[in-house]
Amino acid sequence: MEVGQMQRRLVDYTKTLFMEGFLDAQFLQLQQLQDENNPDFVVEVVSLFFDDSEKLLNNLSMALDQPNVDFKKVDAHVHQLKGSSSSIGAQRVKNACIAFRNFCEEQNIDATLRCLQQVKHEYYLVKNKLETLLRLEQQIVAAGGSIPMIDMGF
Amino acid sequence: MAPGEANSGNGGQILKPFTFNEIVLRNRLTALVVDGDNFCRLLEQGILQAYGLETQSVDNGDAAVELIASGAKFDLILIDMLLPILDGLEATRRIRAMGVRCKMLGVTAFSGERERQAFLAAGVDVFVEKPLGPEILIPILRELDEQYPSI
Repeated sequence: MEVGQMQRRLVDYTKTLFMEGFLDAQFLQLQQLQDENNPDFVVEVVSLFFDDSEKLLNNLSMALDQPNVDFKKVDAHVHQLKGSSSSIGAQRVKNACIAFRNFCEEQNIDATLRCLQQVKHEYYLVKNKLETLLRLEQQIVAAGGSIPMIDMGF
Repeated sequence: MAPGEANSGNGGQILKPFTFNEIVLRNRLTALVVDGDNFCRLLEQGILQAYGLETQSVDNGDAAVELIASGAKFDLILIDMLLPILDGLEATRRIRAMGVRCKMLGVTAFSGERERQAFLAAGVDVFVEKPLGPEILIPILRELDEQYPSI
């Protein structure tokens, strides 16, 4: 596949992710931080997000697995995940966290367990999509092309 | 629909992407990022660096207070509310109590009015719900840049 085709495929894929609400404008800001001085910025930041999130999800699972659940602790973890997911532009994860926090306030164990599943689900979905997106970008760069700036006038 | 606008799947609008060339700072501004979350801390530093700022970061409120107390000066401080060891509210109060007048942004995942009032009362100039975007940052950086006299 030649570079122009790969670039078009990347643009289409990215637009789909926006349309489906997986990513928001914050992610665009991140991509624009990448330049010749900082060629791996997006990969680094995304990897950090994955590490961070998986740690938080583990902590959440453990916290909800206790005989006496400490909802304050659960809420603190969700709060942090809300912050990091909104900072990377992972909109659906952020929204799942917002819902989660409401149930933490109610101290509703069944609902919070369901929320945890929902957040995990959204996280793994966006992780998969981001990995695909990054792979498409790497292919373009490897073929000598540049990563196109997404035009949001669509 | 006006040019540069679009609808995203969530029913919201997608703004025209800005570029970091939209603002070129004449001065080398300095910033401190205080955030307990690795990802957010590195990201905020990265964003400020892309604008041309020199940055430092710490991951807890106590380290922030100590750094300022040791004499470090910054044009801008980004501080989260929830921090280990010493929280953002108390850290902000202590930094202001030392007579520090620089611009402080409270950058937090909290979105409530109560939190906003608390953070402002503690001494931040602006309350920012994460994520920190260019629409908030660019005017502030411009303002800080213009504080320095032109040669």
